[in-house]
Amino acid sequence: MAIKDLTTTQARRPFQRRRKTCPFSGPNAPKIDYKDVRLLQRYVSERGKIVPSRITAVSALKQRVLAQAIKRARFIGIMPYAVS
Amino acid sequence: MALYEHIYLARQDVSPQQVEEMTNNMTATLEAGGGKVTKNEYWGLKSLSYRIKKNRKAHYSLLNIDAPAPAVAEMERQMRINEDILRFMTVRVDELEEGPSAMLQKRDRDDERGDRPGGRPDRGGFGRGDRDSRPPRRF
Repeated sequence: MAIKDLTTTQARRPFQRRRKTCPFSGPNAPKIDYKDVRLLQRYVSERGKIVPSRITAVSALKQRVLAQAIKRARFIGIMPYAVS
Repeated sequence: MALYEHIYLARQDVSPQQVEEMTNNMTATLEAGGGKVTKNEYWGLKSLSYRIKKNRKAHYSLLNIDAPAPAVAEMERQMRINEDILRFMTVRVDELEEGPSAMLQKRDRDDERGDRPGGRPDRGGFGRGDRDSRPPRRF
Protein backbone atom coordinates (compact mmCIF):
# COMPACT_ATOMS: atom_id res chain seq x y z
CA MET A 1 0.00 0.00 0.00
CA ALA A 2 2.71 2.38 1.00
CA ILE A 3 4.85 1.44 -1.94
CA LYS A 4 2.06 2.03 -4.39
CA ASP A 5 1.30 5.39 -2.83
CA LEU A 6 4.93 6.38 -3.08
CA THR A 7 5.22 5.55 -6.76
CA THR A 8 2.15 7.60 -7.65
CA THR A 9 3.47 10.61 -5.78
CA GLN A 10 6.85 10.19 -7.42
CA ALA A 11 5.27 10.24 -10.85
CA ARG A 12 3.52 13.46 -10.01
CA ARG A 13 6.48 15.23 -8.52
CA PRO A 14 9.36 16.39 -10.68
CA PHE A 15 12.00 15.61 -8.04
CA GLN A 16 12.68 12.23 -6.52
CA ARG A 17 11.71 11.63 -2.95
CA ARG A 18 14.00 9.35 -1.02
CA ARG A 19 12.37 6.51 0.83
CA LYS A 20 12.82 7.15 4.55
CA THR A 21 13.75 4.31 6.87
CA CYS A 22 13.09 3.83 10.54
CA PRO A 23 15.80 5.59 12.58
CA PHE A 24 15.63 2.89 15.27
CA SER A 25 16.11 -0.10 12.99
CA GLY A 26 19.27 -1.54 11.55
CA PRO A 27 22.79 -1.64 12.96
CA ASN A 28 24.05 1.08 15.32
CA ALA A 29 20.54 2.35 15.87
CA PRO A 30 20.12 4.28 19.12
CA LYS A 31 18.41 2.52 21.99
CA ILE A 32 15.15 4.13 23.07
CA ASP A 33 15.56 5.11 26.70
CA TYR A 34 13.21 7.31 28.71
CA LYS A 35 16.21 8.96 30.38
CA ASP A 36 17.71 10.12 27.09
CA VAL A 37 15.91 13.45 26.71
CA ARG A 38 18.08 14.60 23.86
CA LEU A 39 17.03 11.66 21.73
CA LEU A 40 13.35 11.87 22.65
CA GLN A 41 13.28 15.61 22.06
CA ARG A 42 13.59 15.02 18.35
CA TYR A 43 10.33 13.13 18.22
CA VAL A 44 8.13 15.73 19.87
CA SER A 45 6.85 18.95 18.32
CA GLU A 46 7.61 22.42 19.63
CA ARG A 47 4.41 22.22 21.64
CA GLY A 48 5.61 19.02 23.24
CA LYS A 49 3.34 16.65 21.36
CA ILE A 50 4.56 13.33 20.04
CA VAL A 51 5.15 13.59 16.30
CA PRO A 52 3.26 11.00 14.25
CA SER A 53 5.35 8.24 12.75
CA ARG A 54 4.24 9.04 9.22
CA ILE A 55 6.36 12.18 9.50
CA THR A 56 9.29 10.74 11.41
CA ALA A 57 9.32 7.38 9.58
CA VAL A 58 9.64 5.45 12.82
CA SER A 59 8.31 1.92 12.45
CA ALA A 60 5.02 1.05 14.15
CA LEU A 61 6.70 -1.14 16.76
CA LYS A 62 9.34 1.44 17.60
CA GLN A 63 6.76 4.21 17.68
CA ARG A 64 4.94 2.40 20.47
CA VAL A 65 8.18 1.95 22.40
CA LEU A 66 9.07 5.59 21.75
CA ALA A 67 5.68 6.86 22.91
CA GLN A 68 6.02 4.88 26.13
CA ALA A 69 9.50 6.35 26.70
CA ILE A 70 8.27 9.91 26.09
CA LYS A 71 5.38 9.41 28.51
CA ARG A 72 7.75 8.11 31.18
CA ALA A 73 10.06 11.07 30.66
CA ARG A 74 7.07 13.38 31.05
CA PHE A 75 6.04 11.75 34.29
CA ILE A 76 9.42 12.25 35.93
CA GLY A 77 9.46 15.88 34.85
CA ILE A 78 12.32 15.82 32.36
CA MET A 79 10.01 16.48 29.41
CA PRO A 80 6.96 18.72 29.23
CA TYR A 81 3.39 17.56 28.77
CA ALA A 82 2.58 20.80 26.98
CA VAL A 83 4.59 23.89 26.10
CA SER A 84 2.44 26.99 26.18
CA MET B 1 14.70 -11.75 41.46
CA ALA B 2 13.39 -9.04 39.25
CA LEU B 3 15.35 -6.08 37.97
CA TYR B 4 14.08 -2.55 38.34
CA GLU B 5 15.14 0.98 37.57
CA HIS B 6 13.92 3.39 40.16
CA ILE B 7 13.96 7.18 39.82
CA TYR B 8 12.84 9.51 42.54
CA LEU B 9 12.56 13.26 42.83
CA ALA B 10 13.29 14.97 46.15
CA ARG B 11 12.16 18.43 47.13
CA GLN B 12 14.53 21.25 46.15
CA ASP B 13 15.03 22.55 49.71
CA VAL B 14 16.70 19.40 50.98
CA SER B 15 20.47 19.17 50.80
CA PRO B 16 22.35 16.67 48.64
CA GLN B 17 23.53 15.00 51.85
CA GLN B 18 19.93 14.42 52.90
CA VAL B 19 19.15 12.96 49.48
CA GLU B 20 22.08 10.60 49.89
CA GLU B 21 20.77 9.63 53.29
CA MET B 22 17.35 8.90 51.83
CA THR B 23 19.00 6.71 49.20
CA ASN B 24 20.85 4.85 51.93
CA ASN B 25 17.62 4.31 53.84
CA MET B 26 15.97 2.91 50.74
CA THR B 27 18.93 0.66 50.09
CA ALA B 28 18.67 -0.61 53.66
CA THR B 29 14.96 -1.30 53.21
CA LEU B 30 15.62 -3.26 50.04
CA GLU B 31 18.42 -5.25 51.60
CA ALA B 32 16.20 -6.10 54.54
CA GLY B 33 13.76 -7.55 52.03
CA GLY B 34 16.44 -9.65 50.39
CA GLY B 35 17.36 -7.41 47.47
CA LYS B 36 20.34 -5.31 46.47
CA VAL B 37 21.11 -2.04 44.75
CA THR B 38 23.58 -2.49 41.92
CA LYS B 39 23.97 1.15 40.91
CA ASN B 40 23.20 4.45 42.50
CA GLU B 41 23.34 7.69 40.53
CA TYR B 42 22.71 11.18 41.76
CA TRP B 43 21.86 13.53 38.87
CA GLY B 44 21.84 16.64 40.98
CA LEU B 45 19.38 19.49 41.26
CA LYS B 46 17.63 19.75 37.91
CA SER B 47 14.88 22.07 36.82
CA LEU B 48 11.55 20.43 36.10
CA SER B 49 9.65 20.84 32.86
CA TYR B 50 6.52 21.70 34.80
CA ARG B 51 5.70 22.39 38.43
CA ILE B 52 5.29 19.37 40.64
CA LYS B 53 3.73 20.09 44.05
CA LYS B 54 4.66 23.77 43.64
CA ASN B 55 8.32 22.97 43.01
CA ARG B 56 10.28 24.18 40.01
CA LYS B 57 13.38 22.13 40.72
CA ALA B 58 14.10 18.74 42.18
CA HIS B 59 16.97 16.46 43.16
CA TYR B 60 17.01 13.45 40.86
CA SER B 61 18.34 10.05 41.89
CA LEU B 62 18.43 6.81 39.97
CA LEU B 63 18.78 3.37 41.53
CA ASN B 64 19.28 0.10 39.76
CA ILE B 65 17.61 -2.55 41.86
CA ASP B 66 17.70 -6.32 41.89
CA ALA B 67 15.10 -7.28 44.46
CA PRO B 68 11.96 -9.34 44.97
CA ALA B 69 8.68 -7.53 44.43
CA PRO B 70 7.60 -7.36 48.11
CA ALA B 71 10.82 -5.51 49.01
CA VAL B 72 10.18 -2.97 46.25
CA ALA B 73 6.57 -2.57 47.35
CA GLU B 74 7.72 -1.86 50.91
CA MET B 75 10.22 0.72 49.69
CA GLU B 76 7.53 2.41 47.58
CA ARG B 77 5.18 2.48 50.57
CA GLN B 78 7.81 4.32 52.60
CA MET B 79 8.44 6.76 49.75
CA ARG B 80 4.77 7.65 49.65
CA ILE B 81 4.92 8.55 53.34
CA ASN B 82 8.03 10.71 53.01
CA GLU B 83 7.00 14.27 52.23
CA ASP B 84 10.41 15.23 50.87
CA ILE B 85 9.84 12.96 47.91
CA LEU B 86 7.85 14.63 45.16
CA ARG B 87 7.52 11.71 42.83
CA PHE B 88 9.04 8.34 42.07
CA MET B 89 8.86 5.83 39.29
CA THR B 90 9.88 2.18 39.30
CA VAL B 91 10.24 0.51 35.94
CA ARG B 92 10.84 -3.17 35.49
CA VAL B 93 13.60 -3.83 32.96
CA ASP B 94 14.94 -6.93 31.30
CA GLU B 95 18.53 -5.96 31.98
CA LEU B 96 20.15 -3.24 34.01
CA GLU B 97 22.50 -1.00 32.12
CA GLU B 98 26.10 -0.77 33.16
CA GLY B 99 27.97 2.48 33.42
CA PRO B 100 26.48 5.95 33.56
CA SER B 101 22.99 6.44 32.17
CA ALA B 102 22.07 8.64 29.22
CA MET B 103 21.45 11.54 31.55
CA LEU B 104 25.03 11.65 32.77
CA GLN B 105 26.80 10.95 29.49
CA LYS B 106 24.96 13.58 27.46
CA ARG B 107 28.04 15.70 26.88
CA ASP B 108 30.17 13.21 25.00
CA ARG B 109 27.24 11.83 23.04
CA ASP B 110 26.89 14.99 21.00
CA ASP B 111 30.04 14.30 19.04
CA GLU B 112 29.09 10.85 17.85
CA ARG B 113 25.66 11.95 16.70
CA GLY B 114 26.98 13.33 13.46
CA ASP B 115 27.84 10.03 11.84
CA ARG B 116 24.45 8.48 12.50
CA PRO B 117 22.83 7.36 9.23
CA GLY B 118 19.97 9.60 8.30
CA GLY B 119 20.50 11.77 11.32
CA ARG B 120 20.74 15.47 10.70
CA PRO B 121 22.52 16.90 13.72
CA ASP B 122 22.00 20.51 12.75
CA ARG B 123 18.26 20.16 12.88
CA GLY B 124 16.87 19.34 16.25
CA GLY B 125 13.43 17.86 16.07
CA PHE B 126 10.94 18.35 13.34
CA GLY B 127 10.68 21.98 12.65
CA ARG B 128 7.02 22.18 12.02
CA GLY B 129 4.25 23.12 14.33
CA ASP B 130 1.45 20.93 15.47
CA ARG B 131 -0.82 19.49 12.90
CA ASP B 132 -4.49 19.73 13.51
CA SER B 133 -5.77 16.58 11.94
CA ARG B 134 -4.76 13.97 9.47
CA PRO B 135 -5.22 15.10 5.90
CA PRO B 136 -7.56 13.02 3.70
CA ARG B 137 -5.89 10.09 2.05
CA ARG B 138 -5.55 10.06 -1.69
CA PHE B 139 -5.98 6.74 -3.43
